[in-house]
Amino acid sequence: MEDFEPNIIGFLCNWCSYAGSDLAGTSRIQYAPNVKVIRVMCSGRVNPMFVVNALQQGADGVLIGGCHPGDCHYQHGNFLARRRISVMKKLLEFMGINPERLKMTWVSAAEGRKFADVVNEVTEEIRKLGPNTKIRRKNEW
Amino acid sequence: MVDQKELVKVAKETLARKDVKYIIGYKKGSYGFQTSAAFAYTPKDVEEFIFTPLCNKNLAKYPLKEEKLPLKRGEEEDKRKIGLIVKGCDSRAISQVIQENGMKREEVVLIGIPCPGVIDQKVIEKRFPNQSEITEVTEIDDDYVFTIDGKEQKIPKQELLAEVCKTCEYPNPVLYDIIIGEEVEVNPKAEYEGIKELEDAPLENRWEYWEEQFQRCIRCYACREACPLCYCSTCMADLLEPQWIRRSVNISENTAWNIMRAFHLAGRCISCGACENACPMDIPLMELNKKLGKEVKEMFDYAPGLDIEAKPLLGSFNPDDPEEFIK
Repeated sequence: MEDFEPNIIGFLCNWCSYAGSDLAGTSRIQYAPNVKVIRVMCSGRVNPMFVVNALQQGADGVLIGGCHPGDCHYQHGNFLARRRISVMKKLLEFMGINPERLKMTWVSAAEGRKFADVVNEVTEEIRKLGPNTKIRRKNEW
Repeated sequence: MVDQKELVKVAKETLARKDVKYIIGYKKGSYGFQTSAAFAYTPKDVEEFIFTPLCNKNLAKYPLKEEKLPLKRGEEEDKRKIGLIVKGCDSRAISQVIQENGMKREEVVLIGIPCPGVIDQKVIEKRFPNQSEITEVTEIDDDYVFTIDGKEQKIPKQELLAEVCKTCEYPNPVLYDIIIGEEVEVNPKAEYEGIKELEDAPLENRWEYWEEQFQRCIRCYACREACPLCYCSTCMADLLEPQWIRRSVNISENTAWNIMRAFHLAGRCISCGACENACPMDIPLMELNKKLGKEVKEMFDYAPGLDIEAKPLLGSFNPDDPEEFIK
């Protein structure tokens, strides 16, 4: 387990979290390279099936980043996402898939430091959980 | 139980209205303990309407999936209403669909029947496996009475009652135009007792349980077809571009499908048990729905299908929603 590098998919909202990760880059902050970023226009765009599909296709964890409550570019997309993800986490938990594999965070465009910290923290937590084997797709023919 | 003569009388009166196209109700099935949906266009068709403890299908599905053929030139759309016989759960399904703008209130005429609970088809068929003759069941006091091979059977109600009916909170229709029969008394019971054991089990045991259940799933989508709230004209499971779930039957895709089905019913499922009843592999789908219903009630204080003016759960928000899981 020592050399296990978690594979994390990050869905970052275009207006806050993605800009925050950009700032982390331009500020030359060093952080874990495990999060693979997919830019979405809003955290409300993240269909919970994205999470399931990511876990199926080999992700060990999923990180969803949105604007702070009240700061959404589309007024309330992040509020809708919050409800959806909290229900999704309960469902995953009940099915026996560790809900800790699904993370959510609020990062604003000015919080490059926070983004780096969150990524480090999430990576360490997923590393502790180990590889996701439960609903992973086995490409058998 | 409702008097059949009264039911026929009310249905006939409704059918005689100029603005009613046809009435959907129950009639005797073709064999065993089955009942089937009846579509009455004429007063003669109404005569075969019944309402017995075997009427366990959810009729709310039918007006939603009505086939609308393209109109010929100069032809006017038939805007008459559809009559529908509703139990408590059917009426909640209709109310939830209206809330979501899936149909309009004025498209249906609802004949409400307070329901004292229906028989679980699977349980009764397991108990009398070789019964192919049409059997009629009547409810007398707290027993179900029916005749098999000339021998009268008397079985206590609780033994055959469907699991969802045992804990039903709304046996009386919440939305109706006409109501037949007397209101049924509601005994509030622990609705979520059934899932408690699984909830308290460790994570790994829960996965083992569901893995075993989902392994059996043959992805026939009968749960979707039976569910009165799965009425999307194109289901995500059928899409090829993007293909959300592959068609192969294995544990990964089966779990993905079941997560998708359960999630899409979060805050919408009205606990009629139609999915579980339809499942040929006996997967306990209602456990997932109950769990989400419970969480939704606890987190957002929301119960589906009670108010047609309310906002759908996942289409609305409250700034004070729980967010302790967010970093």
